[in-house]
Amino acid sequence: MVELVLCGRGGQGIVFLTRQIGQIIASKGLSVISSETHGMAVRGGSINSHLRVGEFFSPLIRSGHADFLISLDATETANNKHYLKPAGLIVENSTLQDETGTKRIAAASLARELGRVQLENVVLLGYAACVEGFPVTAEEIRAHLNKEPRESVRSLNLKALQAGIDAA
Amino acid sequence: MGNEAIARGIVEAGCSVTAAYPGTPSSEVLESLVRWKKELKHPIYVEWSVNEKVAFEVAYGASLGGARAAAAMKMVGLNVASDPFLSAAYLGIRGGLVVVVADDPGPHSSQTEQDSRFFAWFAKVPVLDPGTPTEALEMTLKAFELSEKYQVPVLLRPCLRVCHARQNVSLNTPRPPASVGPFKKDWTRWAAIPKYRLTLHRELNEKLVKIEHEEPETRPILLNEGAGNTTALITSGSVSSHVRDIIASDTRLQGIDVYKVDLPFPAHRAALQQIVDEHERTLVLEETYPVLELQIKDRRKVIGRLSGDVPSQGELVPELVEEIILSTAGERPVQREAPAIKPRRPSLCPGCPHRPAFYMMRQVFDQAVYAGDIGCYTLGINMGAVDTCLCMGASIGMAGGLARAPLTEGKTRVVATIGDSTFYHAGVPALVNAVHTRARFVLIIMDNNITAMTGGQPTPAQDFLADGSPGKAVDMERLVRGCGVDFLELADPYDAKAMKETLERAKSHAFDDDQGVAVVIARRPCVRAPKIELPSDRFEVGDACDLCMSCIKDLECPAFRYVKSEKRMEIDADMCAGCGFCVQVCPSQAIKAKGA
Repeated sequence: MVELVLCGRGGQGIVFLTRQIGQIIASKGLSVISSETHGMAVRGGSINSHLRVGEFFSPLIRSGHADFLISLDATETANNKHYLKPAGLIVENSTLQDETGTKRIAAASLARELGRVQLENVVLLGYAACVEGFPVTAEEIRAHLNKEPRESVRSLNLKALQAGIDAA
Repeated sequence: MGNEAIARGIVEAGCSVTAAYPGTPSSEVLESLVRWKKELKHPIYVEWSVNEKVAFEVAYGASLGGARAAAAMKMVGLNVASDPFLSAAYLGIRGGLVVVVADDPGPHSSQTEQDSRFFAWFAKVPVLDPGTPTEALEMTLKAFELSEKYQVPVLLRPCLRVCHARQNVSLNTPRPPASVGPFKKDWTRWAAIPKYRLTLHRELNEKLVKIEHEEPETRPILLNEGAGNTTALITSGSVSSHVRDIIASDTRLQGIDVYKVDLPFPAHRAALQQIVDEHERTLVLEETYPVLELQIKDRRKVIGRLSGDVPSQGELVPELVEEIILSTAGERPVQREAPAIKPRRPSLCPGCPHRPAFYMMRQVFDQAVYAGDIGCYTLGINMGAVDTCLCMGASIGMAGGLARAPLTEGKTRVVATIGDSTFYHAGVPALVNAVHTRARFVLIIMDNNITAMTGGQPTPAQDFLADGSPGKAVDMERLVRGCGVDFLELADPYDAKAMKETLERAKSHAFDDDQGVAVVIARRPCVRAPKIELPSDRFEVGDACDLCMSCIKDLECPAFRYVKSEKRMEIDADMCAGCGFCVQVCPSQAIKAKGA
């Protein structure tokens, strides 16, 4: 059983990330259930997604139960930290240094170097996938992103993924 | 996704006519139907109707015509569709008719927390309440069966946590479109006058009694094996999923008998009462009104909303459910630190054409009363450009009233704003009313050529339908003129000067000359619309900036940031959409093209 919360601002691609992770896990034959934010909050407001691997009925994680908090916006981390277990890990898009319980990557600037800051979500995913215990591996994500039929989207996503892996 | 599962169920049931109006959390039902239609090459008809009332009527008509049919909407949409919905319960149906109504406890993206199961009760319509996407698919199939068996519309009520949950779901082969044969004339039924309605009402009551006693879904089902305990818990729908996970993860709670009701109205009242009678205490957990609880006659041993132990507002999130169950079981609550949550407020997107329209409206009309409406542009509240928000289309109706009060007429200046999709939805009759009564206000139709808030569904202004097949575009200008409006002008909100001049003329027409309602269409496509090319221009703040903060306070553009340490404004190039409106309106003319 692995439970993870993803957070950020509307428009950063939280829903996209959650779906990719969920699809990869489901394709491995594991049970997965997740919850997304839609509607008003998506216009730049605070948003989060929950994803649970295991035999669950509810798509929501209780506070104090998440193994990982994947944060695309450092200012949103505090709004979601309460979901983490005491031993849970934060993986954050930030230019600051790592500290106990928090691993950081400057995903936005790496994405900007690739030409599109919108790729920051995939950069962060590549980085998170290299963390021990993360429910999907970098190889599984690569294989999944390879299924994208549009060449330009596929190659950019794969580059972003690699940038995240290289930073780990 | 739960909504995809419901759509799949609709297709698998052999349904052939579907209609919906978008609204969070229901919008993906029809979008997924389009997807299944294409993927399965299924002949199902899908339409985005102009509003929920029409969507229901289209589905109802198809049912009388012999097809299985479905309508989908959010819960406040059912308010709009309530007239035909209640009447249809009396008249009955022919082909199976399922109404999918998505509830939003919280509320996360809605005006109310109403419980559509309660609405079903009011309408005397059976309702199924799924707890997971998997159940949502199964119950969709069940709903069609029940509907045809008892000749009554059936409501499927998923909550947001089902609609927007994703889960692995097993799919089956769709049935070919079902038919019960073409429409059969029978005016005593399909066009019943009041005399026959009494008979129909009796028939409906008899159907409900039959459903309550004969359908297994109306009975509470024991989910665990702990029969013979002193505490029982009865639950239904999305909250039942939280309950199951919490009970399974806590050994202290395994001594509770957990029951779930799939069809909460009409619930099997005797079976509910029996559970209550056999236990020392029974906790009832359901979203969002006490529907099951009210169907228990003797509630002296019942713990729930009516006893004050379960909050009567707000979503039953897992943390709260856990707390309530623990306290019912006499266990100590979980120690939790209250999270310090400072949520970021939503804001119009950078480059959104509504922003410059609102900005100019504030400049021209200043202290007017701003009657707003439902859509992305409700976020005009951030700019002081929306003072009211009631329901779909209410801006125009309310403007007519605001302009007439207080009685010393002529003082209150009212400016109403409404989006294009909302205008088609419920604005048109209100505009006819305003024209006819010579109401004195300015109406700005914020026309971004899309239903943006719910994910970009087409409006009647497009010449294509939900599945991309050809439709006929309903021209907005002709529609407004057809309502009898004398003053109608178009402006591009990105063009500050043109917008200002247009609004000034509208102001003179409505307020100075008292010539009746003036309509301005502020037209520019949504920045999130597909195939929209955003300008690549980027801008920077020059030395002329005197830190007046107008770009943050008045324009409220998220791309602007005040750098406190350096006491200067900057434009975030990642966020900026290149619209260049700030260049036109910066009071100190400090913004210029980057590198210029």
